Amino acid sequence: MTASGLTAGALAATAGQLALVVGGAPLLVGLMRQVRARLEGRAGAGVGQPWRDLRKLLGKEAIRPDGSSWVFTMAPLLLLASTLVITAVAPFLSTVSPVEGVADLFAVVSLLMLGTVALALAGLDTGTAFGGMGASRAVTVAALAEPTILLAVFALSARVGSSNLADIVESTLTTPAQVLSPASLLAAVAFAVVIIAEAGRLPVDNPATHLELTMIHEAMVLEYAGRDLAMIELASAMRLTVLLGLGANLFMPWGIATTVAPLPLLGAAVVFAVKLGVLGAGLAVFEVFVAKWRLFRVPELLAGSFLFGLLAVSASFFLA
Amino acid sequence: MSLIGAGLGVIAWGAIAGVTLGALAPSRARALVAGVLTSVVGAGGVLAGLAALGGQGWSLTVTDLLPLGAMTLAVDALSGAFLLLVGAVAVAVGVYSVGYTGPGGRHGAEPDATSGDTTALAGPSSEPGAAGHAEGAASRTAQSALPLFVAAMLLVPAAASVSTLLVLWELMALTSLVLVLAEHRLRASVRDAGLWYAGMTHAGLVAIMLGLVVFAAGAGGESFTALRAGSGDLSPGTRSLVFVLIFIGFGSKAGMVPLHVWLPRAHSEAPSHVSALMSAAMVSLGLYGLIRVGFDLLGGGPHWWGLLVLTVGGLSALYGVLQASVAVDLKRLLAYSTTENVGLMLIGVGAAGMFAADGNRILAGVLMAAAVLHAVNHAAFKTLLFLGAGSVLRATGLRDLDLLGGLARRMPVTTALFAVGALGAAALPPGNGFVSEWVLLQGLIHSVTATGSPSVVAALSIPLAVGVVALTAGLGMVTFVKAFGVGFLARPRSTVAAAASESPLTMRAGMFLAAAACAGLALAPATAGAPLTRLLRVLPSVRDGAPLADSGIALRLAGIAGSMSPLLIALGLLVAGASVAALARRVAQGRPRRVAQAWGSGGARLDPRMEYTATSFAEPLTRVFDDVLRPEHDIDVTPYVESRYLIESVRFRQRVPDRLEARLYPPLLAAATRWGQWSRRLANGSVHRYLAYGFVGLLSVLIVVGISG
Amino acid sequence: MTDTGYVQILDLVCGGILLTAVLMLWRRELAAIVRLLVVQGVLLALLAALMGVRESSTELFVVAAGVLVLKAIVLPAVLRRVLRDSGEAREAEPLVNVTASLLAAALLTLLAYGLSRPLVALAPSPTTRALPVGLAVVLLGFFVLVTRRRALSQVVGFLLLDNGITATAFLATAGVPLVVELGVSLDVLLVVLVMQVLAARMRLSFGRTDLDGLRELRD
Repeated sequence: MTASGLTAGALAATAGQLALVVGGAPLLVGLMRQVRARLEGRAGAGVGQPWRDLRKLLGKEAIRPDGSSWVFTMAPLLLLASTLVITAVAPFLSTVSPVEGVADLFAVVSLLMLGTVALALAGLDTGTAFGGMGASRAVTVAALAEPTILLAVFALSARVGSSNLADIVESTLTTPAQVLSPASLLAAVAFAVVIIAEAGRLPVDNPATHLELTMIHEAMVLEYAGRDLAMIELASAMRLTVLLGLGANLFMPWGIATTVAPLPLLGAAVVFAVKLGVLGAGLAVFEVFVAKWRLFRVPELLAGSFLFGLLAVSASFFLA
Repeated sequence: MSLIGAGLGVIAWGAIAGVTLGALAPSRARALVAGVLTSVVGAGGVLAGLAALGGQGWSLTVTDLLPLGAMTLAVDALSGAFLLLVGAVAVAVGVYSVGYTGPGGRHGAEPDATSGDTTALAGPSSEPGAAGHAEGAASRTAQSALPLFVAAMLLVPAAASVSTLLVLWELMALTSLVLVLAEHRLRASVRDAGLWYAGMTHAGLVAIMLGLVVFAAGAGGESFTALRAGSGDLSPGTRSLVFVLIFIGFGSKAGMVPLHVWLPRAHSEAPSHVSALMSAAMVSLGLYGLIRVGFDLLGGGPHWWGLLVLTVGGLSALYGVLQASVAVDLKRLLAYSTTENVGLMLIGVGAAGMFAADGNRILAGVLMAAAVLHAVNHAAFKTLLFLGAGSVLRATGLRDLDLLGGLARRMPVTTALFAVGALGAAALPPGNGFVSEWVLLQGLIHSVTATGSPSVVAALSIPLAVGVVALTAGLGMVTFVKAFGVGFLARPRSTVAAAASESPLTMRAGMFLAAAACAGLALAPATAGAPLTRLLRVLPSVRDGAPLADSGIALRLAGIAGSMSPLLIALGLLVAGASVAALARRVAQGRPRRVAQAWGSGGARLDPRMEYTATSFAEPLTRVFDDVLRPEHDIDVTPYVESRYLIESVRFRQRVPDRLEARLYPPLLAAATRWGQWSRRLANGSVHRYLAYGFVGLLSVLIVVGISG
Repeated sequence: MTDTGYVQILDLVCGGILLTAVLMLWRRELAAIVRLLVVQGVLLALLAALMGVRESSTELFVVAAGVLVLKAIVLPAVLRRVLRDSGEAREAEPLVNVTASLLAAALLTLLAYGLSRPLVALAPSPTTRALPVGLAVVLLGFFVLVTRRRALSQVVGFLLLDNGITATAFLATAGVPLVVELGVSLDVLLVVLVMQVLAARMRLSFGRTDLDGLRELRD
């Protein structure tokens, strides 16, 4: 294949995973809610409900609280834009990317953090007690989760010798036995805790609550309405999808295309969707069985996952 | 005449002109003259620094200038980097100071709440007057000291002999002390800060002097060339003694834990443009001294030097960021953030030292480059942040975040520029702090693969260092979300903040220059590749490295696999944001956002006192790190006179004291006082006794000479 | 058994032993801690059996069976009795809070890895390479002894210590002689029984088993 053909194919792969994540993220959230509803003995609203909610929100009037500034209106844009950039650079469908070395795992983690910061600033900008409370809690959890993420990244990239996402995925593809190595398993556990904390799932945050004392994410977005809220809802669903997708492809990358030919790409899309569906359903089932923790027990969870991250790194140092 | 010589000439003449004109100019023109000359001196530094980083070398010896010997100057790429850093900071600060020290503004007066205190119930209080402005930062002494301070800082990295370095170092310390004390008549707390600063800086000077004198005695010469040549002859014990002494000395200037105590005081009490100079430029010179003496003159050392620097760096980073994340005074927060960033630089230097001792020059090169790059980035964003804090202080007279807010609509330019700096300081893409932290982390994580089998110490310390850097990054994010979100957004929490207005043009221009530097460093860091390579060539133990490959838009590390393109990430964010905005605009079909009351839980109107404050924002962190911070709480319940069950008001105060300071310094100070009391007995006022001291002294010298001769 | 398969199972079992030790620091409910002890006992027995397969020695299988009976059945049963009699379901206030304990555990494990490097270097093999796990469990056991207040937690710490020593012995020497293992096990049983009696007496004297109560004996 010629160089330009390769670039065109890689661009197609990038466009494909953007379309897949944007279109599929609300469906994933719908699926998780449906699984949960069924397990709790309810009928559920159907998998397509988040999309219907988004359409409804787009038709509604956008509102801005008195006294807020440009930060409030820019935050949803920045949140969505940062999530879109991550979606574009992560190896979800193919390990070949149109521009090599744009962003590595550190940059992806920092971009996720940028989204959190944008929302936290918007929460503070509303000038309400709820907004400030949500912002304060969200950044505290994010800050304490940061060491875990970076240590998990360290453990993953140590065995490959690079923090480049595509390199990590390809290395796992060539030597599948690595997945069961202690370093990789411990890193997977640490990463799972981080996904829960960053995506605001139980037991760290309850995505379905509007109870003052417990909400984190919802408290920050309380003042949004209409298209702004639609952007935030979409971005939150995409963040969950991206995090689960990263978890899936970093630890079980099988099915991903290593070329940019159309057929492997199509297959990769199907496999990726299935992986996400299974992971999402698994997370939903897990959530049925746990209750939200007090905020001040969350550091315990994060300290535990930090320990796993550290063990993963030392395992890669000592067992290598 | 070379460019470096020209630049240094501009520095020297600019400083002389600054001192004379600053003293002579009428008070109306004084701000303009001092500001412009400061910028000119800074521009000279930028010129010389760029030329040196471009590969030029230069040296000069002037005999009979200093009382003890010749004044020797030499500029290489390492000096060049710090000349550029200090010079660029000075250019922005000079422009800014014209407006800041000019007439108008509320800065200088006593702030409403004492620093470090939080008064949850403190309402808007009386407006501080603008009185006494001319005797503060705009006074004759302060204005003429400003260019001199900048010139002293610029000449420190050019010094090429022990005596020259020490004289310039002391000149820098004295001029900065004058500037810190500029507002001592306006606030009592300034005197305390000046005392602490003077004490710490001179203790540091003594350590540096001892270290360098031991070094020079062992090497048989005091010029840097002689030191370099003679460092091999020193016994390992002497070398280590020299290293530890200069580490303490330069570290106290850099603000590392536990010698950081002067930073939160001096930086918050000095006029803001001076704080910017001190925090962004002077502190980096501590790092310069450590690299120059430790890695160039001593030529690197054993493994444990690196480990010592790494450990101190890790502790500084964690302690600094923890204190910053719970600080309520904006300038105090920035000062602790300086300790944090110095800690990150020391982590880079320490790890570089460890790998250099192991003979791994590639990693050592990358880590040293990360440290220097972070010093440059820190200078850019910290200048911007302190200047921004100065603008807020000038507009409101407040440093207390709990009383600020609502500035985004009243000071839009300052707010936007502060946001750029905060983005850099929070180490988030596309800010500039992210770039150097990325290089630092890359250097650390490649220690596994690049070294093959790392030593036990490295294997234990590097994962912890990564954890420390990560936690620092996370808490740094909290710190700057708090500083920006509580300080500038939402509604004003006091009448003074509500009455704020935008700063004068020169101040905005100064901040804009710093912001432009931040943006340049954030988007095109790869251009630093070639200069950094030249810089590393100065250091014998890390000489081979070419840390950053200059490959256009992407930042690639040479020797180890790692690449990232800040420019493309920023571009991606821009394109994605713009297209989403365009889509949203189409969906909106021209309907504007309606401005409505925020939801008040169905209750009455929300008033600003219900907003989250900096204290409440940091409360979860304060609780999580309760064991380290040990906050002091103070609750006052006032019941009505009629019944003690009906509460009229509750007053809650929280103070987060600096625990290290409270633990370490009182015993030291008490010992010093006791010693002072004791030695007072020597001086009882009797002239005969004083003459007897002289006689005894003369006799003992004669006896010593007689015995040894 | 193939080589890679053996290494992976060995690593998993050792990882499990370390994991249960860490979880014991995390959980506050004493009943849950006892359950974790059972799991750890089973894993230890598995470790012994695994070595038995590797070395094809019958003696090791006997040891494995002994470990299973003692550490997964008898000792937990004794502990459950103490728990039922004392009525204290939780380790209410450890001297070091849980978050700090977990961070300390991280440091102790790192230390164990670092300290056992010279030992591993003596005879590098997959088995000795897992040696740090045993050492880490020993250190964690000590940590529990130092920081927990309840008498039952003290017993747990002691057992953790013993489990760590057992694991280290298996990993370092590829199995210990049956006699030695038997002797050690009986000692442990004896100590636990003594501590059970002691805890009962403490409860009679002080009404609780908080070890800080013992300070009063000094005066």
